[in-house]
Amino acid sequence: MSELTHIGASRRQFLVRSAATAAGAYFSIGMPGLLRDGSAQAAGTDAFTPSIWFTITADGKTTMHIVKAEMGQHIGTGLAQVIAEELELKWEDVKLDAPLESVENFAIYGLAYTVNSGSVTTEFDRIARAGAVGRIALVEAGAKLLGTEPGNCYADSGRVYNKASGLSIGYGDILQKVKIDRKFAYPDDLKSVTLKDPSTYKIIGKSMPALDIPAKTNGQAKYGIDVFLPNMAYGALVIPRTRYSSKVLSIDDSEAKKIPGFIKAVKIDDSMGKCTGWVVAVADRFPTAQKAAKALKVKWDAGPYASLSSADLLEQYKQLHADEKLGANWVLEGDVDKGFGESEKVLEMEYTTDMVCHATMEPLNATVQHSNGEWHVYVGTQSTSFARMTLNAYLSKVLKKKPEDVKVYVHQYLVGGGFGGKQDYDDILAAAYCAKETGRPIKLIHTRESNFATSFARTPTYHKLKAGIKNGELVAMNQDIVCGWMGARFGVGKKGGTDWLQLDSWDAKKQDIDQWSIGGSDHWYYMKNHRVRAWNHEPTTWAVQASALRTVSNSYNIFVVESFMDEVAHAAGRDPLEFRLSMLNGKGGNRGIPNSGYAPGTGSDYYMDQLWISLPWTKEGSWPVYESGTVGGALRLANCLRVAAGKSGYGTKKLPPNTGIGIAVTAAEERQSPTWVAGVAEVTVDPATGKFTINKITIAMDPGVAVNPKNIEAQIRGSALWGASQIMSEKLTLKNGAFEQSNFHEYTPIRLAQVPEIDVTIIQSDRHPAGVGEPASTVVAPAVANAIYNAIGVRVRHMPISPQSILDGLKKA
Amino acid sequence: MPQLSINGQSFFADAPPDTPLLWVLREDLRLTGTKFGCGLGVCGSCTVHINGEAVRSCMVQFKDVSENAMITTIEGLHPSNTHAVQQAWIEHQVPQCGYCQSGQIMQAAALLAKNPKPSEQEIVEGMNGNLCRCATYSRIVGAVKRASEIIGEGAKHV
Repeated sequence: MSELTHIGASRRQFLVRSAATAAGAYFSIGMPGLLRDGSAQAAGTDAFTPSIWFTITADGKTTMHIVKAEMGQHIGTGLAQVIAEELELKWEDVKLDAPLESVENFAIYGLAYTVNSGSVTTEFDRIARAGAVGRIALVEAGAKLLGTEPGNCYADSGRVYNKASGLSIGYGDILQKVKIDRKFAYPDDLKSVTLKDPSTYKIIGKSMPALDIPAKTNGQAKYGIDVFLPNMAYGALVIPRTRYSSKVLSIDDSEAKKIPGFIKAVKIDDSMGKCTGWVVAVADRFPTAQKAAKALKVKWDAGPYASLSSADLLEQYKQLHADEKLGANWVLEGDVDKGFGESEKVLEMEYTTDMVCHATMEPLNATVQHSNGEWHVYVGTQSTSFARMTLNAYLSKVLKKKPEDVKVYVHQYLVGGGFGGKQDYDDILAAAYCAKETGRPIKLIHTRESNFATSFARTPTYHKLKAGIKNGELVAMNQDIVCGWMGARFGVGKKGGTDWLQLDSWDAKKQDIDQWSIGGSDHWYYMKNHRVRAWNHEPTTWAVQASALRTVSNSYNIFVVESFMDEVAHAAGRDPLEFRLSMLNGKGGNRGIPNSGYAPGTGSDYYMDQLWISLPWTKEGSWPVYESGTVGGALRLANCLRVAAGKSGYGTKKLPPNTGIGIAVTAAEERQSPTWVAGVAEVTVDPATGKFTINKITIAMDPGVAVNPKNIEAQIRGSALWGASQIMSEKLTLKNGAFEQSNFHEYTPIRLAQVPEIDVTIIQSDRHPAGVGEPASTVVAPAVANAIYNAIGVRVRHMPISPQSILDGLKKA
Repeated sequence: MPQLSINGQSFFADAPPDTPLLWVLREDLRLTGTKFGCGLGVCGSCTVHINGEAVRSCMVQFKDVSENAMITTIEGLHPSNTHAVQQAWIEHQVPQCGYCQSGQIMQAAALLAKNPKPSEQEIVEGMNGNLCRCATYSRIVGAVKRASEIIGEGAKHV
């Protein structure tokens, strides 16, 4: 049975209704939350279909329809807890499913895109209200059946109770006996629903076991790579000469043809600027496709990046930085130059960071089937919506058809690690092209080697920082950032690629600065004069296909800002903890803004304008407008820092030789969606070898309402170790336009033996829930760098920190 | 046609002899719980048991697996999926994305079969070859300890 009801109604109504179907009575509920009036993607107005978040069936079970990607954060469980709380369900009756992505369902559910640690933050209010009106309708229907008024009844654990008599009826029985047809005006009736007082929560705030975990312990969990279709063939990529912009000149398949099972070498149409230089070997088995890919002799024109290497990039960044006109302001408060002029002491430092990549345990893969004029994609992706739109745009071009004549459906599977690395769709396009060329369903799987070779890298960066100190105070701060702009390929910032995304919300206001590359520099420290400027090194963006990686630019900017903040504290003769707390005072724009979908920055209109990015859920006046996560501002961050520093023994613990404790804070992910986090690292350095060991990481996070504390703890532990991995050992380098690392023996994420003790504190409150999947990853790197300085007096201004850089520092000292 | 004994059942597969066991399991037998991670034996996602030993199935060629070899995959670890390690993994809520976890569980089960009461150091050494990009490591250690307890409790009742 279809889980979706097609309800003829005006757009301004919100419907709660049940219907009898062949499979039995069910009850569903929804609202046109993300539907944009006039959108070409919307279904016809006469056949308007509201978005539907859950379905209750006559057996009393409730299926939550989760459009967010399940990639380790157990988001389905978290969202289901919110709905179940307001709907008054018995947790054992909750199930999950993932709706198919199609033009029709996009009009119902809106954009399926899982990024930014934003799922709970952005969905909480909307789905809580959906649950609440569902409960109201069920109580009304249940009261009638119990022969009393709704006011005399309440709902609990999937049943409606008569307060006076104690008699009750289950939701499933209600649905079997009556047809619910209750209308709520949208949005007014929903806005006016009173949500539960957090002190009465029974499901939110409890560590419900994640619903996706049991299948992940017995081999039954299905990822994109686990899809099999009748008559399916397999594709393996011939690793192109460069990461981007190679052109295939010729293919010699004479050796490949000798391999039994080899079907065809497919040169992928790369006219959209995706899959450049790609040749896919198609065979009847994946190992055969791998063999054939190795046997194919491909000649390329290596393109404009053929001689570009990591060492060149740094030189080019410095040259670019020399031209001030090319920089764009991101933060502009007060007059920094005047501030430096008035300072007693000026500190200037250069910082650099290397490239890293996602290296998800599930290599990128996609399965595409073309049948009956429909293109079906089977994949685990962070955005089924963008996957559909991108493939639609590509196939329209390749097949020379109108976009509306190309029907694409995306079937979501579990995502074997995302971290920002599964929001590109090259593999889907290539698999679809192979399906077109062979007439068979194709599963394209990256080998680990081709996965590394086609990484979407975090850009390398160059930073110049300057601080003015007067009377022991930081009176002016400037940060210059030069890098490849990571949002550029997604239409954020200059020279965006919105044409292929085809989504109106992204190009509403094009800017000449890329929030994805600069965010994190806009910290919450109060200072009168503050400026951040950014330079775009465009060749980087394309040559390494620069992209978002867990916390995006926070992952380097927090390292840089928080390392530098320690340097400034020392230069000012102050303790880094006391120095930070004095500036985390909640003054000016750092006070936080209540009851807004977003918060402006540190005060100036100019800054606000620069900050603006037209994501649908941050638009001013959009509904629902949840309480801003910025409420409380920098004072909440100061509180986290006090907790983490205190628990770690900063300043009080007696430490062994060559051991130090370092501190750092972050409000990642973005200025308008902060999660308050402090991190402390205790590190021991071996002065003979330069090797360092992280003994302990302490994290304190204030996420507001903690929907599932045990899961939040898991996210904090995992992301803290992600941060440890970045500062210790992760490094991707470019040589002659290609990445040098090919597998996990050369690119080395953290392993169990390197894991330190981790102490996690979750500071819960009634504040609107903030994202928890990423921010803790940003504080570990600077805390480690600061701890190394405190241990042996060596300041390393580069990420990752190599033992050699510590030895070099010791020599200089 | 070569015969394999997998999870207590006999299978015939006609894969080319140099096909890694991993792909025979996944593509011929559709036992997809065993995952492809690196193809180089350095990540552990493809770990299965051959005669009780934890083995990287991406590094074993089909032709080198003897007909008498007893192969166990995650699907066959326990008839009702309640092996002590599986119980402990759920109790401690170990998996995040879950992709590496079949390999982690098979590695842990082999470790505990040989050494039912491993020290923390032995757990770290035994599990260090299995990469987890979500870094569920601290819960892995806790869950292996818990599985060891469950095995111990079971032994007492015998």
